[in-house]
Amino acid sequence: MSSVRPKLKPETPKAVTGWATATGRSVWLRADGSWTEEAGLLGVFTGDDAEARLAAALKQEAVVTDPYFMEVTADGKIAGRETLRESMRAQPALSFGGAA
Amino acid sequence: MYRYDQFDARLVAERVAQFRGQVERRLSGALTEDEFKPLRLQNGVYLQLHAYMLRIAIPYGQLSPRQLRRLAEIARDHDRGFGHFTTRQNIQFNWVALKDIPEVLAKLADVEMHAIQTSGNCIRNTTTDHFAGAAQDEVVDPRAWCEIIRQWSTFHPEFAFLPRKFKIAVTAAEHDRAAIRVHDVGLHIRQKDGVTGFEVHVGGGQGRTPHIAALVNPFVPETQILDYLEAIMRVYNRYGRRDNKYKARIKILVSELGEAEYIRQVEAEFAAQRDAEKIDLPAAEVARIHAYFAPPALAPKPALSKPLEAAKAADPAFARWTRANLHPHKVAGYASVTVSLKPLGVAPGDATDAQMELVADLAEKYGYGDIRVSHAQNLILPHVALDDLPDVYKALDAAGLGAANESRITDMIVCPGLDYCNLANARSIPVALAVQKVFADPAYEEDIGKLHINVSGCINACGHHHVGHIGILGVDKKGEEFYQILLGGRADEKAALGEIVGPGLKAEDVPAAIHRVVEFYRTQRSSPSEKFIDTLERLGHQTFQEALYAAG
Repeated sequence: MSSVRPKLKPETPKAVTGWATATGRSVWLRADGSWTEEAGLLGVFTGDDAEARLAAALKQEAVVTDPYFMEVTADGKIAGRETLRESMRAQPALSFGGAA
Repeated sequence: MYRYDQFDARLVAERVAQFRGQVERRLSGALTEDEFKPLRLQNGVYLQLHAYMLRIAIPYGQLSPRQLRRLAEIARDHDRGFGHFTTRQNIQFNWVALKDIPEVLAKLADVEMHAIQTSGNCIRNTTTDHFAGAAQDEVVDPRAWCEIIRQWSTFHPEFAFLPRKFKIAVTAAEHDRAAIRVHDVGLHIRQKDGVTGFEVHVGGGQGRTPHIAALVNPFVPETQILDYLEAIMRVYNRYGRRDNKYKARIKILVSELGEAEYIRQVEAEFAAQRDAEKIDLPAAEVARIHAYFAPPALAPKPALSKPLEAAKAADPAFARWTRANLHPHKVAGYASVTVSLKPLGVAPGDATDAQMELVADLAEKYGYGDIRVSHAQNLILPHVALDDLPDVYKALDAAGLGAANESRITDMIVCPGLDYCNLANARSIPVALAVQKVFADPAYEEDIGKLHINVSGCINACGHHHVGHIGILGVDKKGEEFYQILLGGRADEKAALGEIVGPGLKAEDVPAAIHRVVEFYRTQRSSPSEKFIDTLERLGHQTFQEALYAAG
């Protein structure tokens, strides 16, 4: 992490993200409880539901590594202090492999 | 080059088997990430922004064609068809799945490679002059001593958990191409009264608190160098700070103690070593290791090559490449070739699988099977006959490796930045490529001459921005990338730290600002041969600073 992960208020909309343990690819938790490599499909959570989702994710060691909250808007857009970093994770600006 | 003996081979094979078991337990969930992290880091595996990254050691930057072909194969089969050469003369793969890494490590072990001690708070890959063994200005070939240090430091039980990572660089040439003064320990091999020894510098480094190393001992005879390194490490291991990772590097210890007190402690530790604990490196063993680095049998050739001169006359682009990318060889009729990994528009230091295979082929056909990685993130063919240069260039150029820019403004050292790195605050690669575009005209770039631009995406300084003639440091200001410009750094024998000259610039303003500084230099240089850094040092930073921000 580039900085300490910000503490988010219970009412702040948030997503749960981490890395797929087997591949290391960035993943986001969907509303149905599955994980996706498409950030556009992430679920938005608040309050106790969000805490329960993160707690469950933390128990899925074989599936997801180092899950954490990231701030989003109510409609799932990346928001908050880590917007730049999370945007890069969600949609790399570089065309990887050869020409940049 | 050095070849594994039975102990090396067994040690690496056992390490692969051990890590295979650890990965299996991680994938099953038997190991948590907290438990697994220190294990994976000991095997060069990081978890970066988008994926796992595997860093592979290339001891002192030397590769055989067989090894480079194996790296190409890994790039193709386990990455996205490319690898990234680093400032530690290593290579990184950015997209390797954890489940595949044991297989990758096994493939590496087959060609006498591994990822041990490429991460963690241990002694990392010892780096050296990429022209070692070929350079006219070296007193001895430093690679044998790098290998001796590698063997001493690999799995050294006393130094496996240092306060922080530890980096050693060695040069044997007066012109320092290994940046020894910005390393934890920098060794300059010298000869005095027929004895080979080491000038020892300690406490250099970059990161958030950059330091130029202190000269700790002007001459340690080669027979004592490992004992002296042990003394350096022991003082650091005992007194280096472990309470704050940002103050844990040896540079902070040297700075806080003061150079004189640090030297006193090292000398006291060195003097207190008992005979029983001194490293008795048998002369025969030293000679055995030196023998691995015997120079290739280069047939004597005329210093002036007719095929080379004819090709230069026929092809201006080739002539320009020979002016930029060749380094004088100690044997007449040969040159060391820099294969630039900085063509326009490509992430600096990246090479595709096909490019790696081509360089391996060329090394085999024209280069006595010797390949180096430079800390400036290029590849080197250290021994090429002048007669063969037209064919070598033709093949390189056809593969996109013909950039004539070694040590020039588009030959930037650039960290992966926020495009890859979990620590970065800003992107490095796009801003570097934008600056490259401004200087894309080869004739213009040649007129500018030697000029090092180094770019980092955060204060950890993996892009060596402190020691670029022009340094660019990316910072995050409330979610927006800004870039601070530093002037006056250098990593050579006159090592100096650049100074931040003013407020940060938006990414889109950086290329024009750099262009203004370069144009100012061109108008102010005393002659076309006066280098940027010399003009800057002659005139001072203030006038350059004004140019940087003029009409900005």
